[in-house]
Amino acid sequence: MRLKIIRRKETRIVNVILLYVIGIAVSFVLGGIFLSSLGINPVVYYRDMLTIGLIGNYYPAKSIEGLLKLFVPLLITSLALSLAFKMKFWNIGGEGEFITGAIFASWVAFKLGDSMPRIVVILLMCIAAFISAGLIGFITAHLKVKFNTNETLVTLMLNYIMLYVIKYIGETKADWNFFLRTDSERPVFARFPENAVMQGITIGNFKLLYSVLASIAIAVIVYFYLKRTKQGYEIAVVGDSVNTARYAGMNVYKITVRTIFLSAALIGLAGAFAAATSGTISTDITNNVGWTGVIVAWLSRLSVPVIGVVSLLISVLQYGCQAASASYSQIDHNFADLMQGLFMFSILAAGFFSHFKIVRTGGKNDD
Amino acid sequence: MIEVLTLFLFNIVIYSIPLLYATCGEIIVEKSGSLNLGVEGTMAVGAVFGFLAGCRADSLPVALLVSFAASALVGAIFCIFTISLQANQNVTGLTITTIGVAVYFFVGNGLGANWPVYRDCTRLVAGVSDLNIPLLSKIPVIGKAFFSHNILVYLAVIIAVLVWVYFEKTSFGLRLRAIGENPGAADSLGVNIVLYKYLHIMAGSGIMGIGGLYMGLNMGGTFEGSNCWINGYGWIAIALVIFANWSTMHAILGTFVFGFFNTLRIYNMPLATTFPKTMGWLSSVPAQVFSALPFIVTLLVLVISSIKSRKSGRSNAPTAIGVNYYREDR
Repeated sequence: MRLKIIRRKETRIVNVILLYVIGIAVSFVLGGIFLSSLGINPVVYYRDMLTIGLIGNYYPAKSIEGLLKLFVPLLITSLALSLAFKMKFWNIGGEGEFITGAIFASWVAFKLGDSMPRIVVILLMCIAAFISAGLIGFITAHLKVKFNTNETLVTLMLNYIMLYVIKYIGETKADWNFFLRTDSERPVFARFPENAVMQGITIGNFKLLYSVLASIAIAVIVYFYLKRTKQGYEIAVVGDSVNTARYAGMNVYKITVRTIFLSAALIGLAGAFAAATSGTISTDITNNVGWTGVIVAWLSRLSVPVIGVVSLLISVLQYGCQAASASYSQIDHNFADLMQGLFMFSILAAGFFSHFKIVRTGGKNDD
Repeated sequence: MIEVLTLFLFNIVIYSIPLLYATCGEIIVEKSGSLNLGVEGTMAVGAVFGFLAGCRADSLPVALLVSFAASALVGAIFCIFTISLQANQNVTGLTITTIGVAVYFFVGNGLGANWPVYRDCTRLVAGVSDLNIPLLSKIPVIGKAFFSHNILVYLAVIIAVLVWVYFEKTSFGLRLRAIGENPGAADSLGVNIVLYKYLHIMAGSGIMGIGGLYMGLNMGGTFEGSNCWINGYGWIAIALVIFANWSTMHAILGTFVFGFFNTLRIYNMPLATTFPKTMGWLSSVPAQVFSALPFIVTLLVLVISSIKSRKSGRSNAPTAIGVNYYREDR
């Protein structure tokens, strides 16, 4: 008897959901074993983590606000990455594009924040971030289509180059450097002028930032863009087969460049939101969202509604780990990364079993 | 004056060696047709477990063995997902980096106050003390700079040469290259693709792990809660594979160039003050430029080589890289 892997002809949605549930359960069990090895009770830890410290908290509104601060950049970045991934374009440059957006947004904030009305400043910040990050996407897409330059590695290199650019800005005291505080000897990023800080609707003691509403609007727009527009259809065709797209008379160069511009630009926008929300920038402004976004997009199988749910869950995981690690000295927020990795592996395995099945073949020589 | 130059060259070697391990490992992996983006995580796992086991047993061989085995295990996970379960290589690699670095912090923080004191592990410390190669180490400047290093430095160069010989001169290496170029053709010739890929990816990952261990030992062996020991070297290694054009012999040179940038970042001031006329300008270059240089150079190499290979139609990159092989799709 031998085992053989064959591709399933059809995948039943019930099976897929079941596999995913099993996968997530396995991750929690594995994470629990890790926790137990450090002498932490996994049940208590998971409870603290999943309730993001809301139980017994005097300021639950602050926890929700903190959670949303993680959610907005992650949601937009994951959506943007899924646009690229749908075309099988490996934009793993989320980190670099995010930083680019944040730098150019704060450039606008520092230069124009005092002299213009709030709505104009915020809008200009978003536009600056959108275009600057989009240009990075444009260049990588151009290289990919014209010269077949490996986009995975190009975007990877750009992540590090942009990281050192923001470090340079943040660590260099100089007359030209308007990003830094002038009243401090050490290099410290200055705060934005009041007009460049993201505002929101106040409900009781909870402040719903406009960036949250904007990110949800972006999700809806991306959904309809992919499902209902000609451009969305073109993305699907190019992703399926470049040759098919060519035979159908599509302009592959135009479609690729446009989509990757959009993908990078949206990530830049997320960077602008993050900068405007915190009212300043920092060298770790990305919070690894470029990497986490890849995982979220893939966990969600590039489906927009699922991305919404998964990025919320991952935000709960990250915020919850921060909250829970306050009471456990042996463990820090990196546990969130560990859990994300475990989820990812479980879902990758589940993905296999929903596409393939293992069958037994009778004798030794019959394959 | 001479001392500054010697020390500068000496440190270039020190900084380039972990990259050489990682690059050799990744070249083996990529020659088999897989792009493993998990180098950073693989190195982190090898570093932390190799270091802990080495301190516990107070022995360098144990440290080497454990770091190799731990990282080979990570390589096996990569194989299980990308070869057996047909998962996407990029995503699997990135997940390995995420989880590997998380394991590093998890284990490191979990130990807390019980973290071993590296200096007390006398035999381990002695194991990586500098060895003077007879005669050669007596040559002025070059002797101290190149022939008076710890054993792991020599081991890296030996591995690089052996891997080159393996690929160029043995039939096993030839078959592996065939898998990386055209797995369908290799399969039809009766090469056991799954076995070959598993073994080589695991071996390559194990070598990355030794690079990780080297970094841990080099950093004085104290756990760093904020920055992982590996600190981006895994990503540079992925870049270096392209820079070295998938040859481990070129990798020796390539890692030296990258080590040069890294050393410049730290030694720009001594160089500028010792040679004010010729290298005085170094003091005005910001440190971040030196840090970013490896990535900028790789980006340029990447772009230029792709433009050139578009024109000439030739590249050393394995043709089937990044594409999973599923026999029935052939």
